[in-house]
Amino acid sequence: MGPDGAPGPSVPWQKVLWERQPFPDNYVDQRFLEELRRNEGIRQYRYWTVVKEAGFVGQQLSCVAIFISLWLYMEQGLLSPETLLWSSLVCALLGYGLYQSLSSQVESGCEPRTRLADLQSAAIFLSFTFGFSPVLKTLTESVSTDTVYAMSAIMLLAHLVSFPYTHPSPPGSLSLNAALFASVCLASRLPGALHTFAMLSCALMVFALWPCLLQRVRDIAPTHFTGVCLGVCVGGVGGLGLQSPGGAVLLALALGSVTLLCPLLLVRLQRHKDNIQGPWDEAEIHEDLDHGRGT
Amino acid sequence: MVLKIFFPQCCNRADSGLLVGRWISGHDSAVVLAVIHYPFIPGQVKQYIQQMQAQSGVELSVLGSWSLPKEGQEGMESFLRDLSTIFPQERWLQIKRQMGKTGFTCEILNRDQSGKAAQQDSIKKKKKVKIEEDYQHDDSDNKKQQEKKKEKIEEDDQHDDSDNKKKQEKKKEEEEGEEEEKVIFVHYEQRKVMLSQLHPIENGVPDPKTEPPSELRQVFQTVARSQPLFFLDRYDDGPLKSTHWQSEGREASIIMELLKQASVPLCLLISWLLSVWTWICNVRIFSLYPLRFLSSKLSTCVQLSYRTEHLRTLSSAKPATGHTEFMRKSNILVSFLIDVALGLLLISWLYRDDHIRMLANTLVPAADHVAKELEELLQWLMGAPAGLKMNRALDQVLGRFFLYHIHLWISYIHLMSPFIEGILWYGGLSACLGLTFALSLLSDMVALLTFHIYCFYVYGARLYCLKIYGLSSLWRLFRGKKWNVLRQRVDSCSYDLDQLFIGTLLFTILLFLLPTTALYYLVFTLLRLGVVLFQGILHLSVDFINSFPLFAMGLRICRSYRLGGISHFHIVHHTIFVQQMSFKVTLKQRRSSTISFCLQCIKLHREVNVL
Repeated sequence: MGPDGAPGPSVPWQKVLWERQPFPDNYVDQRFLEELRRNEGIRQYRYWTVVKEAGFVGQQLSCVAIFISLWLYMEQGLLSPETLLWSSLVCALLGYGLYQSLSSQVESGCEPRTRLADLQSAAIFLSFTFGFSPVLKTLTESVSTDTVYAMSAIMLLAHLVSFPYTHPSPPGSLSLNAALFASVCLASRLPGALHTFAMLSCALMVFALWPCLLQRVRDIAPTHFTGVCLGVCVGGVGGLGLQSPGGAVLLALALGSVTLLCPLLLVRLQRHKDNIQGPWDEAEIHEDLDHGRGT
Repeated sequence: MVLKIFFPQCCNRADSGLLVGRWISGHDSAVVLAVIHYPFIPGQVKQYIQQMQAQSGVELSVLGSWSLPKEGQEGMESFLRDLSTIFPQERWLQIKRQMGKTGFTCEILNRDQSGKAAQQDSIKKKKKVKIEEDYQHDDSDNKKQQEKKKEKIEEDDQHDDSDNKKKQEKKKEEEEGEEEEKVIFVHYEQRKVMLSQLHPIENGVPDPKTEPPSELRQVFQTVARSQPLFFLDRYDDGPLKSTHWQSEGREASIIMELLKQASVPLCLLISWLLSVWTWICNVRIFSLYPLRFLSSKLSTCVQLSYRTEHLRTLSSAKPATGHTEFMRKSNILVSFLIDVALGLLLISWLYRDDHIRMLANTLVPAADHVAKELEELLQWLMGAPAGLKMNRALDQVLGRFFLYHIHLWISYIHLMSPFIEGILWYGGLSACLGLTFALSLLSDMVALLTFHIYCFYVYGARLYCLKIYGLSSLWRLFRGKKWNVLRQRVDSCSYDLDQLFIGTLLFTILLFLLPTTALYYLVFTLLRLGVVLFQGILHLSVDFINSFPLFAMGLRICRSYRLGGISHFHIVHHTIFVQQMSFKVTLKQRRSSTISFCLQCIKLHREVNVL
């Protein structure tokens, strides 16, 4: 019954405004909210599933850390460019073999890239990087080191923020470009052209090729995926720990919060979700209200 | 009904006689053109007027009589009144003036329907009009007028504050209180009205079907067309004597007459030379691509073609058809003469005291100096200019490139240096065609001497443009977008891995090299801007000389009534109730099409005080 206690005539109340009815304006009856639906299609997350999915974020963070620590090694001369080149070549070959073997198990829906196309892409990468490395070496000579560091940090952050974690293959344009820009900035601070070349190849592997491989691993072998993520995280923390223990602690804390704390929060806060839906159009308030009135 | 009489100022002191003029059809007004003095033989007057009418095409007639009695001529008045029987008219004006008094008296004798013109006293409406007289300017003989002027209401029309000589028309009327017909007496200055050409004669042929042109227009046309009437001056031995603006003798100049005689063969010669010149210009070699392109870029050639066009206009056999074309031609002629005179002045300075050699001797060191300054500028740019951190490698490359250019330039100048004096000597001769030619030649020489700066500018601008274009395109790639040419918008696009990689590499490189290129571009653009400014000043002065309407300016200063403009009226008496009445008059003005402006004539409605 309505708040005004209007007399109940025999005419049933209708939920329309365009007809004159023998009820007060603010009258509603029991049927008013019966079509309201709450939290429709809500997914009940389970903690460990969320943690497993968050492992991808953690491992990307670790990848950035690994790249930075590699650069630190290179800059201090602890790692020679030849070593890095050879090891990354070996890694690339191993990864390529793994990628191919995994893809052979998957049904080949869309036409797969041929070996020749892969070889062509690799040749383009290597030749361009090698050709441009002297230029890149002198590129940021006159720019102050702090500026370069700041730019790299911003770009790496942009890479992490804009990374398409659900479908990392093919990598998103902005994330990859930001990462490459940062790596060019960092690589140009290294002492020699060969260092630059090695660093850029390494960046290409870490930021462009590794997410593709990992995506495939996640699709094919989810159990191994967790292990790989864990391994990358440990590698990142360990690699950084050798250079700067403080950084490693920070990274470990970040990894812990991203992979353990944030899923916990998500699962906890899921209970407070209150999302109402119904067969009505939601009111949209346009910003150009004045403009609409004017015309 | 108001009767308007347009009376020439020069006849104010004429001897008594007959008023010759014209009644304006469609309007109740009359124009007085001249006064024929007593004594005369009426038959001769009639013959003379017919003759004049045949020559000028204006319907001239005797309007009435004019009396300004001098000593011993007291009996004149009745005689003049009787004249109306000899010259039969619808209305007979009798304008009187007393010596030593200001003001006119006007009587209108209306001819009766039955033709009894002689009986005037009782039947006719008799008008006694006292007319106040006002000399608008430079009339010093009437001191009373000066005092009265202070009391006058001065009513000007919309926009006349400058020119008060336009058409000296004043309307004033003073009337006895109870009279029903009024007379407005308008003084006009005959010479200026005739020469003003505000209402060209060729438009003045009245079309009977359309309504008659406005009153003022008819007045102007009548005065302008009755030029033959004004050829009779006091030195003529004919039987008649008359007063009008030229009665003291006609204006003429021997030089002008000689020039008029000489201009015809001169025009023929010039047009023959022009035809030869045009024939030379039309030879096929000159229309080939590089030559045509060069000639459109060299300001000397442009000026040459411009002057050729001017001379062709001047030497054309047809006379100017309208006021506009006449003004244009005379402007061209005057600017051409001024130009040549200035050029001759320049020549007389250049070839005196070996100034040419001095110039040539300073030119080469000046070019050397400029080159040296440029070299220093480049060295500065190759360092760390203004504390900016540029890419050292690119900086060095660009700097060396430009330094090599300057080196080339200096050797070219030194190769040229023996010939520079000759070039200047012959180039200076071009000033006899006019100062504009010399200036154009100077502009071209400056363009040639600063060719290296132009080259630098082009290189810098091209590099900068390329870089900006590439950066904007690669920035879209950086964000994963691309430019959709078909839809003219930015779409998102998924690039391949290698495209992304190479694009980002190039983007980084271009971005870090941008400041260096931008700085070079900026510096060379500023240099180029300086040269362009100098050339712009030269071109501006050339255009100024070419197209400044000097003749119109001179006319404006000396004979401003020849140009359409404004007119204004003074009301003489302060006790007069004023009602404004507007006439639309179209005037042909210099260069513009017809403009219409409102001549506000003042109609005096009623006058209370009788003098």
